[in-house]
Amino acid sequence: MRKELRLTVNGQPYELYVKPKTLLVEVLRNNLGLTGTKRSCESSSCGVCTVILNGMAVKSCSILALQADGAEITTVEGLANDGKLHPLQRAFLDYGAYQCGFCTAGMLTSAKALLDENTKPTEEQIREAIDGNICRCTGYNSIIRAMTAVMNGEYKEEK
Amino acid sequence: MSDQYAVIGKSHIKVDGHAKVTGSAKYTFDMVLPNMLYGKILRSPHPHAKILKIDTSLAEKMIGVKAIVTGKDTLGHKNGPWRRFPELCDEEILCREKVRYIGDPVAAVAAVDEDTAEAAIDLIDVEYELLQAVFDPLEAMKEGAPKLHEHAERNINVTRRIEWGDVNEAFEKCDYILEDQFHTSSQAHLCMETHGAIADFGYDGKLTVWTSTQSNYYIQVLLAGMLGMREGDVRVIKPPSGGGFGSKFELDSAQFCSALLSQKLRRPVKIILTREEEFTATKRKTPMYYYVKVGAQKNGTLLAKEVRVVTEGGAYTAMGSTALYLTGFYSCMPYKWAHYRYDGYRVYTNTAPTSALRGFGAPQAYFAGESMIDMLAAEMKMDSIEIRRKNAVTPHYEVPGQAYIQSCGLNECYDAIEKYMKGRWKLPPNRGIGIGNYAFMSGGIFNWFNTPYAFSAAMVKINIDGKVDLFTGACDTGQGSDTTLAMICAEELGVHLEDIRVHAEDTDLGPADLGSWGSRETLMNGNAVKMAAADAKRQLLEFAYAKMKPNVVYDLDIKDHKIYMVDRPERYVSYFDIVSDVIRAKEGQTIIGRGHYTPHRKGMVSPAWSFGVQAVEVEVDPETGKVKLIEIVTAHDCGQVINPIGVLGQVEGATMLAAGGAFCEDQPMDNGKILNPSIGDYKVLRSVDMPKTVGIEVDTYEPEGPFGAKEAGEGLTSSTAGAMANAVYNAVSVRIRDLPITPGKVLKALKEKKEKGKKEK
Amino acid sequence: MGYHCPVCNKVSRTSADLVRHMMGRGDNVHRDWINAKGFKYAELLASQFQSFGSEEYKRLAEVLENEPNLKVDD
Repeated sequence: MRKELRLTVNGQPYELYVKPKTLLVEVLRNNLGLTGTKRSCESSSCGVCTVILNGMAVKSCSILALQADGAEITTVEGLANDGKLHPLQRAFLDYGAYQCGFCTAGMLTSAKALLDENTKPTEEQIREAIDGNICRCTGYNSIIRAMTAVMNGEYKEEK
Repeated sequence: MSDQYAVIGKSHIKVDGHAKVTGSAKYTFDMVLPNMLYGKILRSPHPHAKILKIDTSLAEKMIGVKAIVTGKDTLGHKNGPWRRFPELCDEEILCREKVRYIGDPVAAVAAVDEDTAEAAIDLIDVEYELLQAVFDPLEAMKEGAPKLHEHAERNINVTRRIEWGDVNEAFEKCDYILEDQFHTSSQAHLCMETHGAIADFGYDGKLTVWTSTQSNYYIQVLLAGMLGMREGDVRVIKPPSGGGFGSKFELDSAQFCSALLSQKLRRPVKIILTREEEFTATKRKTPMYYYVKVGAQKNGTLLAKEVRVVTEGGAYTAMGSTALYLTGFYSCMPYKWAHYRYDGYRVYTNTAPTSALRGFGAPQAYFAGESMIDMLAAEMKMDSIEIRRKNAVTPHYEVPGQAYIQSCGLNECYDAIEKYMKGRWKLPPNRGIGIGNYAFMSGGIFNWFNTPYAFSAAMVKINIDGKVDLFTGACDTGQGSDTTLAMICAEELGVHLEDIRVHAEDTDLGPADLGSWGSRETLMNGNAVKMAAADAKRQLLEFAYAKMKPNVVYDLDIKDHKIYMVDRPERYVSYFDIVSDVIRAKEGQTIIGRGHYTPHRKGMVSPAWSFGVQAVEVEVDPETGKVKLIEIVTAHDCGQVINPIGVLGQVEGATMLAAGGAFCEDQPMDNGKILNPSIGDYKVLRSVDMPKTVGIEVDTYEPEGPFGAKEAGEGLTSSTAGAMANAVYNAVSVRIRDLPITPGKVLKALKEKKEKGKKEK
Repeated sequence: MGYHCPVCNKVSRTSADLVRHMMGRGDNVHRDWINAKGFKYAELLASQFQSFGSEEYKRLAEVLENEPNLKVDD
């Protein structure tokens, strides 16, 4: 009943055997132990499960794991490089762009996907990029400020 | 003001930040223990029914099912947070004879995985005898309505009254009298981490529970009571928690059922509520019917106010009794009413229990109250800020027999709003600006929970290398209490924030604290932490005095790791050296400081009050009735700001939550069934909906608070609905008295106004 | 001037205040005293809600005013 699944997560290749109905978020959290990506709804509406799949921000609860066969996936755990925080992570810290933190992984991956694709988004585009991510604590504006600061080059990638 | 402080008043990265932005924070949701089972709960599909029989035999036979519990497996105790009033402790959680709302738990299953547990739930057969149900509190109070609880005639669960002066006599003296009715709606907390718990009952008879909570102490006590255990044998640990907002300081079904199952099996059992259960079977905001009569005099004085409130209680008391009391108190604020009367009734209904949601009765009170003030202002031809400023409470005012206000920055808030809004009052058509203001408590003085402990306590431990461990019971659910308290500790002790490690999640390790609700942590726990830090500091300074031998008229203090003479700061010794010396002097003991705080003789409500004035600008589309939020400005007084970036986060977050409750969030029901129990259907503000938000802090100092600080975060939710209703009125001259202010209601009102052909008040 | 509560002796400023105290306590002993005087506690509570002016409590206040030994002499 289990099928073979090969994918690269945060730069590391994996070979797994999963049941066909397993969701991508379940593989990431349960099989690979990457619990940074969360789940919060049963209707693919909240965005806390957002990961980057082949460069696109996707809700990992709405994708079957087997559909991600051969894909390159980045989760929040893959943002830091060699122990150094990603500019977005540093900006989130400085701008207080998190409170309870449960939506933060999804916000960061959505933000990274946007800035990798569009280096100079407008405020409207920034807001739209995280439109699929619900935050109940911050009121979003601090997250927008953090993303804007990174876009403006206030945070350089650390070597 | 902030220059005198080394740590507070300056923005700091929160102490839990690195864990949260790297995904390494482990929530209850993430935790897996060896040998752990997964639980699911079977809930009543009926709003009111007798349980005749529960047949678990088929479910028990399923492979992978390890245990099933029902009401018969409990001790039959009922629980509730108002322990001073036993009849208000009315919730069995796992129902024995009767279910009282759709979602009331009936059985729970532990199995090897979630899918098996869920399948087993479907195999449990429950036979119910349906009873007549009642859903509206006004209906439930009528003679002959179905009775939910034996002790409550007419389903009247709690009544509260507040009165001073003589309103009847005073109304005779009023030149303007207005009477009106309002209704406020339900709202879901929508914490991003749903309720959940892992319970591990050991063979030694001791229980450990990991759970997402706002008060691990409350859960410890209530759970021990329900299981017939000694409190000390129940250990509750709060991992990083994904939000609370008032939904997580009562014993919930995940905690109780997982504990029962684990007790039976002596294995860890994890229960995480689904989003649907979160919407339908956890506590929600208290809907209220408000009947208000206000009277004012020609000279602009607000003289008399009479308020009657009926709240939809839902099936159990929960903390809805506190909401009932507080809403009655907030209804008199923030004005100097010489005559006031409040009669509040909480009424049981066959709906999900209603309790606390950020604001705890204040958003409801200020929606009705601030709307009425604008209505009066219009009658009296006064400006909306002018009428408020003229009657606002002031520093050192006593709300007769109720509360004593020390610091009060309301006047400065009006100034700030007037300054910000200068030149902006002239607006294009269909745009309006509305004003609302609030006063809010910094923790309550009441001990309805009947704790024998100080309301807050803290312990500071200094290690040989100068690193500090801070032990408190404050529960950080995202609002930043860990950081705020660490900053207060660092300021008092003269060290850096990085020197402090906060331990605030374990009932075994930390002192008891009532929890993070009612905006109590900054003031109450802050005072306890400051006292503990001062106690540890004193032990260091004693030694430093001996070492430095300053003249007796000179003081020593600690700042930035230096123990220095206040009048001659160039003379100092190293904090680290003194720590090492003191430990040696005390026979090698670590340095420990203790602190605690319980408000005494501070009136009937709270030891300190925060204030704010909010201006909301909206644009109304007269074709669709849609209200667009343009900008929300809040000038507020929270005393000394501890962490500016934290306060900004509270202003913006509170605004979003309050605005959601004011114009798009609701839980419509059909015969007790919530119709929109999913995130797709429950409309919330998203990033594209958030307007520009501005927070302006006015400078005051609260003597009762640590370094002059008061709450910032709950009061900020209180005035938005009223200000929005006023803004909509100013935009298109229709007044909505029923939350949320939906496009449908606005359109209907516009149509009615057109048909009437005259301005609606 | 004031009134003793006939059940627990707590002093209230006026008879109206005393009614509010007794109805507010709501425990069995206070309820029983009120019901023994020919009122129905729950009905009184529910109807008190119906209008401004505290009309319904006035009847009970009158009864308390005429009850012997409740007045407190200054």
